[in-house]
Amino acid sequence: MIEFDQEPPRRQFETLIPLINVVFLLLIFFLLAGTMQPAENVAVSLPKGALNDKERDLPSTLIVEADGFVWLGDRVMDAKLAGHFVKQHLGEEGSRRVAVKADRDAPAEAVLELMEGLREAGVEQVTLLTERGS
Amino acid sequence: MFEEPVRRRGMASLTPLIDVVFLLLIFFMLTTSFLQTQSLAVVTPAPSVDELPTDARVIEIWLLGNDTIAIDGTPVERAALAESLKQAIGERTDLTVTILAEKGSKTQALIAAIEAARQSGAKSVGTARVERIAP
Repeated sequence: MIEFDQEPPRRQFETLIPLINVVFLLLIFFLLAGTMQPAENVAVSLPKGALNDKERDLPSTLIVEADGFVWLGDRVMDAKLAGHFVKQHLGEEGSRRVAVKADRDAPAEAVLELMEGLREAGVEQVTLLTERGS
Repeated sequence: MFEEPVRRRGMASLTPLIDVVFLLLIFFMLTTSFLQTQSLAVVTPAPSVDELPTDARVIEIWLLGNDTIAIDGTPVERAALAESLKQAIGERTDLTVTILAEKGSKTQALIAAIEAARQSGAKSVGTARVERIAP
């Protein structure tokens, strides 16, 4: 009878070490490459743009949904009335900087209407958020 | 007298470590976003259309309701908008660019028009919304 050499059973941790290496690498990748963002209650797909003015730390963000409604925090309003609410909101915060996050399919007149309302509320400049691309 | 404490030999179990690392990995995978946002600073427009100049030194970008763009009536591809606007302006950089948004036009077109107007070197840019652009 022929006898074969039996392979000695490998220890468990030896086989796990490559896995742990890869998982650690992935972990470090996500830590370094990603940026954390606070979750918004409305999902918008930003319009694509080419220019970047690199404005940061904008205190208040208005979100324009694809159907033209405007969100300020938890409140939903019509684009026509947004200026008034923004005025109240800015009065509390004491800041004149506003970011507008508009969906790429939102009606352009809603965004323009919103910006006109902001002008009346005393906001001279708004920052439109876009996504890199063309 | 006292017994020597027994030394543990070998490696401690790796399983809890792997559990924690996996949890962290999943956490970071779900919370990170790789979306690169840019910002475009825009001066808010005046509420009245009447304040816009209407003389010959104005170039109008029309954002039409069927999601097309035209410069002074000539249809233009969105990708070629900045280039066409530059050509239309030429040397006359004292021109005013007016962006007219018809009902039904989308924000993507508005952003493209604002960026093109910014890149064209025009002196000033105005925006207005209209029900319907009369050709």
